[in-house]
Amino acid sequence: MARSVWKGPFVDGYMMKKADKARASGRNEIIKIWSRRSTILPQFVGLTFGVYNGNKFLPVSVTENMIGHKFGEFAPTRTFKAHSAAEKKTEKK
Amino acid sequence: MTEHPLLCVGHFLGAHGVRGLARLRSETEDPTALFTYAPLLHKDGTRLFSLTLKSADKDTFIVAVEGITDREAAQALRGEGLYISRALLPPRQDHEYYHADLIGLLVRDAEGKEYGHILALHDHGAGTFLEIGTTRKDSFMLPFTNAFVPTIDLHIGAATIILPEGWL
Repeated sequence: MARSVWKGPFVDGYMMKKADKARASGRNEIIKIWSRRSTILPQFVGLTFGVYNGNKFLPVSVTENMIGHKFGEFAPTRTFKAHSAAEKKTEKK
Repeated sequence: MTEHPLLCVGHFLGAHGVRGLARLRSETEDPTALFTYAPLLHKDGTRLFSLTLKSADKDTFIVAVEGITDREAAQALRGEGLYISRALLPPRQDHEYYHADLIGLLVRDAEGKEYGHILALHDHGAGTFLEIGTTRKDSFMLPFTNAFVPTIDLHIGAATIILPEGWL
């Protein structure tokens, strides 16, 4: 059953404070969070979070199309082992 | 045989049938790209593999290998990798990097403090990030962006990082 609309999206309270502080500082920082259950809100766009996966903090750079998803979706807790493509390229942004 | 590092582009899975055909798995981004590279080498660069494609299924192929005519010989290939020279990859753009080039680079900050090597690159849908450290156990992650990894020098084999406060 879906969450009632009148409640609004769920976000742990400390997340908002940390995000506001990081935005105000203007520095490049990664906000460490443990709240995988929190919803990604529009005010988080452009920030980088370090989402704990039970072992390490995985960087999650928030973009517009991630709004409405949960942070935990972008920090898997299990390791998928596979060969990576030999000629795989990545763009540095 | 070659002065450039070798990259694994596929490996043999075993025999197919009784006439010396072999099953092969491609490890290139586009599976069929494996057949555009030549020469395909053994891991030590000494043996050449000449392949003829017989049939395909996703990233698995049935191939005839030159010089292999019976099932036992094809089965003996199981686990063997197919390698190409790094020099065969097409040239990259300025802002693009091959994972094969990045993995193993020494990582240090602007003051020269070393943090180990780039162990892997990951992307779980929220931007590419580097896994940095001496071993997987003590590694840490850092976004692969200009803000955190301002310079990469492939000639000297080192990357400079800016570590955010409190990240480690």
